[in-house]
Amino acid sequence: VLLVLGGLVLAVLLLSGTSPPGHTQEAFTAVAESVNRKLVKVYGSGGFQGIASGGTGVLVSSQGHILTVATQMLDTRDLRVHLWDGRRLKAEVVVIEPELDLALLKIRPPDNLPLEPLEHFDISQAAQQPLAKPGDWVLAISNMFQVATREEPMSVQRGVIAAYGKLPIQRGYTEAPFAGEVYVIDAVTNNPGAAGGALVNRKGQLLGLIGRELRNRQTETWINYAIPVQAAVKVDEDGKDKLVRAVDLVELGVQGKYRPAVVTKRREGKGAYTGIVLVPSPVERTPPYIEDVLPGSPAALAKLRPDDSDRLCRWRAGQHRQSVQRDRPPHRAGHRATARGPARQPHRHRGLADDRAARCAAATRRAAATRYAAARVYPQAIEERHPVHATID
Amino acid sequence: MHTQANGSGRQQRRRLALWLGWLAVLGLAGSMWSAAAQDLPPEVLEAQTKRIQAIERVKPAVVAVFDRGRKGGGSGVLIDERGYALTNYHVVEPTGPFMQCGLPDGVLYDAVLVGIDKVGDVALIKLLPKQPGQKFPTAPLGDSDKVKIGDWAMSMGNPFLLAVDFAPTVTYGLVSGTNRWQFPQGELLEYTDCIQVDMSINPGNSGGPLFNMDGEIIGINGRISPKRGRVNSGAGYAISSNQIKNFLGHLYGGLDMDHASLGATVRSEGEDGEFARMVVQEVLDGTDVARRGLEPEDELVAFAGRPMGSVNQYKNVLGIYPEGWRLPLTYRRNNEKREVLVRLQPLRAQAKEPPAKQGPGPIIGKQPAPPPDPELAKLYKAKKGFANYYFNELERDRVLAALAKHGDFATLTGSWSLAVDVQLKKTKRPGKLELRQRGPDGDPIVLYSLGAGVEYDLEPLKDQSIREKQDPPGSGGLLMAMYVYRRLLTLGAKGFEGGFVYGGFEPAYPVTGDAYPPKHWKDQRVDCDVIKATHIDAVSKFYFDRKDGKLIGLEMSLARDEDPCEVYFSDYRPVNGRQFPHRFEVRRGMDRFAVLTVQQATLGSAQEGN
Repeated sequence: VLLVLGGLVLAVLLLSGTSPPGHTQEAFTAVAESVNRKLVKVYGSGGFQGIASGGTGVLVSSQGHILTVATQMLDTRDLRVHLWDGRRLKAEVVVIEPELDLALLKIRPPDNLPLEPLEHFDISQAAQQPLAKPGDWVLAISNMFQVATREEPMSVQRGVIAAYGKLPIQRGYTEAPFAGEVYVIDAVTNNPGAAGGALVNRKGQLLGLIGRELRNRQTETWINYAIPVQAAVKVDEDGKDKLVRAVDLVELGVQGKYRPAVVTKRREGKGAYTGIVLVPSPVERTPPYIEDVLPGSPAALAKLRPDDSDRLCRWRAGQHRQSVQRDRPPHRAGHRATARGPARQPHRHRGLADDRAARCAAATRRAAATRYAAARVYPQAIEERHPVHATID
Repeated sequence: MHTQANGSGRQQRRRLALWLGWLAVLGLAGSMWSAAAQDLPPEVLEAQTKRIQAIERVKPAVVAVFDRGRKGGGSGVLIDERGYALTNYHVVEPTGPFMQCGLPDGVLYDAVLVGIDKVGDVALIKLLPKQPGQKFPTAPLGDSDKVKIGDWAMSMGNPFLLAVDFAPTVTYGLVSGTNRWQFPQGELLEYTDCIQVDMSINPGNSGGPLFNMDGEIIGINGRISPKRGRVNSGAGYAISSNQIKNFLGHLYGGLDMDHASLGATVRSEGEDGEFARMVVQEVLDGTDVARRGLEPEDELVAFAGRPMGSVNQYKNVLGIYPEGWRLPLTYRRNNEKREVLVRLQPLRAQAKEPPAKQGPGPIIGKQPAPPPDPELAKLYKAKKGFANYYFNELERDRVLAALAKHGDFATLTGSWSLAVDVQLKKTKRPGKLELRQRGPDGDPIVLYSLGAGVEYDLEPLKDQSIREKQDPPGSGGLLMAMYVYRRLLTLGAKGFEGGFVYGGFEPAYPVTGDAYPPKHWKDQRVDCDVIKATHIDAVSKFYFDRKDGKLIGLEMSLARDEDPCEVYFSDYRPVNGRQFPHRFEVRRGMDRFAVLTVQQATLGSAQEGN
C-alpha cells in the first residue's frame, strides 16, 4: 500500500511540477537574494580601453575560496573582492587551470584572522546533479558592466538554455577559451564584468559559471555561454589521458593540492612555437610587444629583434597568458589576419601615429615569415625554457 | 475510504491498493496527456491571463513620439487624461517644442513640449485633443521604491520605430537591479537611483514606460549599457517613477529645472578598509549646509531617510531631488548623530548643454520640422529658465484659483490688525501685529509691538538697510514677511513686479505642536505647490498644501546667503467670511523664533480706509 501511495504522491508531484514558479508571475526576488550572498565582486587589473577591471566570483568554501573565470583581470598582486554585505577584502590566486579557463581564489582575511564562515555553493554536490537541459529556465547573476559595488546587489537576468555543446574554436573568427562542453544561453549574459558569475536554475542551484565575452568576428554576433560545474576536459599529459575537472580544481584546490594539467602534446598540430617572448600582458588587449627573442629560435633565425615599438598582430587577444603559453597553438602561417594588420585597421589602434602604423605593417610582414618558420618547432621547448610570467606567442 | 480500508481484511486492502495503483497510473497518464495537449496548469494560465490583461489595460496609453517630419522619434506614456505624457529629454531635444504622437488606436496627434529635466533625462509633453473635452487613456504612476530585484516587469514602446500603426512593442523580463547609478554625460543625463532591467531595450524605446505586472508605471526607459553599439545588451535602465514624481510639479509648470548638490564636497573614506564612510571634505561658503553647521570630517549618515554609506548611495539619494528642496540630513560628529533640514544647491552653476546623444537614444530625424499651425503655436511661450512658459501660467493660475477658494482678500486693502499672544523661547506675552494703511493707494507700514516699549516698525519701500528689514532681530524679517503675505492675499500676481511664477512641488515642514524641534523632520513634511515671487528685494516662496490648495507657509529672503524668515500658517478660522490663519509659526534656520496665536483679527477693507 505504501508503495502505491508513493506512486500517487509521485503523480501529484508531477502534476504540480508542471507549474514552476518561473512560468507564473512569482518573482525571483528570494532566489536572486540568496544567490547574491554567495557571490563576490572581483576587482583586478584592467580598467582602460574598454577592458573590464572587474569580474564576478562564486564562493565555494566557508573560508572564502572563490571560483571564477581565468581572465586577464587576475594578473595583479592587488586583487580585491567585495562581499554581498559591502566588506572589501584582499584576495589572492590559489591556482589557475587554463584547461578549464577557471581560477580558484582565496580571500586574505584582514590581520590573518579567520573569517566568519561564509555562505557558499557546494560544488561537489552541484557537480553530481544532472545537467540542465535545453529549454530550461535559468537565472544569470553577475556584476555585469560593474554596475554594483560594495553591498549593492548584483544584476539578475533570466534566460533559457539554448544548447549544450562545445564552442566553435575557429581561429580568427571565434576564439573560444574553453574546449569543453558549455551551456549556451539565449540572454545577453556575457558582458564586461560578468565572467565568473553564477548560472543557476529557478531554485537557485548552481549550474555553471558565466564565461567571457565571446564574439564571432565574422558575423559580429555574441555568444553567451557558461562553463558547467560538471566541466571536464580530456587532455594528454605525458602520453596519458587525464581528465581535468572543475570539481577537482575546487576540492583539491581548497586543500592546496591541485596541480594544473601539464599538457605535453599540442592538439591537432595546428600551430607552433615561434620563439618570440612578448611583454607581460596585464590587460586583455595589451599590444603584443616583443620583449625577447629566444636564441636559435625560428624567430631569431628570421632575424626578428626585441624592439618594443614593433607590434605583431593582435589576434591572440582574449586569453589569459597562461592559456596562451600552455595550450593555444600559435597562429598558422599565411593566415589572413596577417594581411589585416594594424595599418589597415586604424580604428582599432586609436592613438597610433602614422609612422608607427607603417612600422607595424613592417612588423606584420616579418611576423608572417616568423610564423611560417615556427610551424616546425617542437613546442616542448617552451615549457622547459620559460617560466610562467612570460607570454610566448 | 481510508478508514474503511484500515478496518477491513487483507483482501480488501489488496483490492484498495490495486485501485489506488490504477488511480496513480491514470493520474500519470492524465498528466502526460494534458502536457502533450499543451493544456497548462491553472496557475500558468492565470498568470498569462493576468499579464495579457495588464498589457491590454495600459497599452492604449503608450505613445509613439515623432518629430514633425516623422523621421525620428522615441516613445512615451500618457499619465493624465488631459493628454500629458512622459518621455525622455533626449527624445524631445531634437524635435524642438512641437512634435507628433501616435497612439495605439492609430490616430496621430499634435503635441507640444511642456517641461524638461535635462539632468534626469525626463520631459513632459502634451497631446492636443482632436475634440474639446476628449479624454486620453492613461496609465498610473506606481511606487518604484517597492520594486525588487527579481520582479517581473514589461517595457512598451516603439523600438526601431517599427510600428507604422503606432501599436507598441512589448518586451518582458526581470528587474535586474534597483538603485543603480549611471554616470552623466557632461552635466546632463545622469541616471541616479534607476531601475535596471533585462528585457530588450533598443533605439526607439527611449521615453517609453517600464510597467510592473499590475500595469503601473515604475520607470521611464532611457538608457542601456553599450556593447559595441546602441542595441540591447541585457542591461537597460529606467528612470524611477519616484524620482519623476519629485519633479512632476516642475514638469507640469513648464520649467527647465535643475538637479541638486549638497553644497559640500564629500569623500569616501576607508575605501581600503572593510567598510567605507562618506566624510565631508569641504563645506562651500554661503550654502545651507554651511549655515546648518556642517563641518569637514563630519560623517554623512543619511539623507531624506536613506543611508549614505557609499559614493553610489550618496549620488543616488541626492540625484532624485530638484534644486531648492529642503530635506533632512543626518550626520555624525564625535559619535553623536544630528539631524538638520538642508536646502539643496543647484547642480549646474552655468549650464553648458552638449547635444544629448546616447543609447538607446532617439532616432534623430534629419528633416527640419515644418512650422506648426497657429492654433498649436499659441501653446508655446519661450522664456529663459522655462521649457514652455505657457504651462507655467496655467499652473500659476491653478494655484491662485485654489487659494481664492479659501477667501477673496482683494478688497481687504485697509488696515489689518492682529491681537496676538506671542510665545517666545522662554516667555509668553501679548502683542500686536499691524499692517497700517495710509491713504487708499499707499503702501502699508508694518508695526509689531510686544509691550514694555518693545516695538518695531517697517516701511518696506522706504527703509533701505537690510538689518532694518530683518526686524525683529532673529526672525530674519517677520515684518517684511507679513507685508509680502498681505500682498499675495490682496494683490496676487500683480503685487510682485520682480516675478511671480509657479515653482513646482516642494516639501514644507510646519510644526503645529508646541514641542520643538520635532524628533524626526520627515514626520512634519507636507507636500506643497510653490509660487516664487519677488517684490523689491524680498524673494519669497509661498507653500500651498497640494491636498487642498491652502497656503500653509512662506519663506522670505532678503539676502541670498542668509537664512530666510519662515512663517507657517495654521489654525484657519473664518474672519469676515474668509478663512484666515490664527497660528503663525515663525522660524529661521533651525530655530523657532516665535509662535503667534491670533486672539482677534481685524482685516479692514479699502472703503474703511485706516
